[in-house]
Amino acid sequence: MAETSLSQSQAQAGQAPERSLRDRIAGKLYRSEALRGYLLMSPTMIILTIGIIIPFFILVMISMWTRDGFGFDTTLTLANYFEAAEKPIYGALMQRSFWISGLATFFTVLLCYPMAYYVAFHVHKNKMMWIILMTLPFWTSYLLRVFAWKVILGFEGVINSGFMSLGWIEAPMEFLLYSQTAVVITLAHAWAAFAILPLYVSLEKIDKSLLEAATDLGDGPVARFFRITLPLSMPGVIAASFLIFIPTTGDYITPALVGGPDAMMIGNLVQLQFGPMNNWPMGGALSIALMLWICAIALVFLFLTRKAQEKLT
Amino acid sequence: MDILDQLGSVREGKLSRRRFTKGLLAAGVAVTTTPLASKRAMAAPEDQATYFTWGGYDIPELFQPYEAKNGEMPNFAVFGASEEALTKMRGGFVVDVSHPCNAGMNRWIQSGLFQPIDTSRLSNWSDVIPSLVDLPGNETAGDGKVWLSPFDWGQTSITYRTDLFELEGEESWDMLWDARYGGRLGSLASGGDAWWCGAIKAGVDFDNLDTDEAFEKISAVMREQRPLIRTYTDDTTTLEQALASGEMVAAMTWNSSATLLKAEEVPVEFAKPKEGALTWVCGLMIHKDAPNLDRAYDVIDSLLSTETGQFMINDYGYGHSNIKSFDAFDEATLTGLGLSKNPADVLEAGHFQRPMTQEWETRMNETFETIKAGF
Repeated sequence: MAETSLSQSQAQAGQAPERSLRDRIAGKLYRSEALRGYLLMSPTMIILTIGIIIPFFILVMISMWTRDGFGFDTTLTLANYFEAAEKPIYGALMQRSFWISGLATFFTVLLCYPMAYYVAFHVHKNKMMWIILMTLPFWTSYLLRVFAWKVILGFEGVINSGFMSLGWIEAPMEFLLYSQTAVVITLAHAWAAFAILPLYVSLEKIDKSLLEAATDLGDGPVARFFRITLPLSMPGVIAASFLIFIPTTGDYITPALVGGPDAMMIGNLVQLQFGPMNNWPMGGALSIALMLWICAIALVFLFLTRKAQEKLT
Repeated sequence: MDILDQLGSVREGKLSRRRFTKGLLAAGVAVTTTPLASKRAMAAPEDQATYFTWGGYDIPELFQPYEAKNGEMPNFAVFGASEEALTKMRGGFVVDVSHPCNAGMNRWIQSGLFQPIDTSRLSNWSDVIPSLVDLPGNETAGDGKVWLSPFDWGQTSITYRTDLFELEGEESWDMLWDARYGGRLGSLASGGDAWWCGAIKAGVDFDNLDTDEAFEKISAVMREQRPLIRTYTDDTTTLEQALASGEMVAAMTWNSSATLLKAEEVPVEFAKPKEGALTWVCGLMIHKDAPNLDRAYDVIDSLLSTETGQFMINDYGYGHSNIKSFDAFDEATLTGLGLSKNPADVLEAGHFQRPMTQEWETRMNETFETIKAGF
């Protein structure tokens, strides 16, 4: 839109020395790249402001209130944060969340890497179809996928009844469902699409001549992979890890459905604070604390991978 | 969409549930048909009343009179615990009719979110059992109106597998604390049920619930129970499936789970614990800003009808508030279901839930959630 009005204003600017306001704005737009950039971004920026930045400040605000009966005492205080730091339950659930989603992230990336690798290097026709096929399971609702895992991992589920009919096990394995394992498995599957796509993109971009050069200079397939492919696909690995780690840490529906008592995560507690425990300020404080922790962990992870990459290259 | 809405819709495929877990094919079919089922329940047009209720009450069988009059089902929204429902409505969720129980009624009234029910607009009101209406606090609506129209009543007790659970002596709450069956016991997740049952197990009289000593005693038994529990859930379907498959041998449930499982010929029994079961009455309240007030009354009238009542008694095993609903059943059937035409017989034989203060409710929920999390 900006560009069509630009060409008009150019034409007019030559003839009329007295320029209208509209032309002047158009002229400014033409000259200033930054302004054009902001204009292009503005729809997103507006949504971002209304949908994320304002609610975030509201959340920060609420987190500094305190509960008072069923209402809230709106004097600002950091009491909730101190409580979050002191009571062992919050720290322990936070740790467990990082552990579970860390494991889930690790396994997701580990399992998705070969898939992305295969499509990037060994599929030459219909790549798009392969990508679509791999993301096909993700067209169903997240909730249904979680339920599907409940069916697979359950006491009378597919795995247990299959193994039993083969005579591999005597009694159903109970650790499959309602455990941290179940949460890790479900998350690793449910978020796979978010790993495959960034991994595929970064692998696809690798210049094949580098691999040929490495082979010419005497690297075997393994050395070639670790010296060329892996370092060059690191941006994809990092992006995939972030895309999975950040949202899964705060997940609550997966542990609620397949987790059982020992796999409760911080997201469940936040949900409870806004529900039956009716302590919105504490829930807010926990969410903010979680965000800060994720930021810190992400920065450390980024720093470490940078270091590792420097060493490799 | 709320997760519990989805849970409620999975429940609609009730009869196929055991097959559901039998194989991947069956699972695939059930999973793909679930959204269709929920769509039918959720897609009622805007001008129908919205009924905000416990999971399991969002089924067409309860709304035959409503459908006959208005041509369609009401809209449904589902909750798993009444405290959760109240919080959601305080947060601005407007519905026409909701479904609290006697223990929560006074706090619901105090929230100022509800309007008195004009009983003269309900055609079935004359058949409602008076003792169920006569809950402390209900009369404060004045003018012969009521805040809560009673609908269903029943018990929270233990459903156990008669073939898998080896009973030692009498049926008792100790069954849910039986270390022999560690990891094979289930419980409702909401403190509104579990904590009260804990109080019965700990021997705390309901008169003394709001004391530090009671909190300590009940916390102690809840902590003792936690490692034995396979999962805490608000979704009764999960408990029913687990009992049907033998994954659990006993679980805290309401009447309906036992009745449904028996109908599927699973060998279960709904225990009559020697310490007494937890008993309750639930009912209907109208939101003060109900957008479809006339239809809100239709929802209540439909739920109070004998058609609905007979389904509630026969298929769910709950007591109903309409005395005429019981006429279709003989004494023996009712006794078999643990029901009676005179609700007081059943309600007073157990431990009847009572209204508590908001402070107690919050403290109880907080304590119980902390214990469930393992602390």
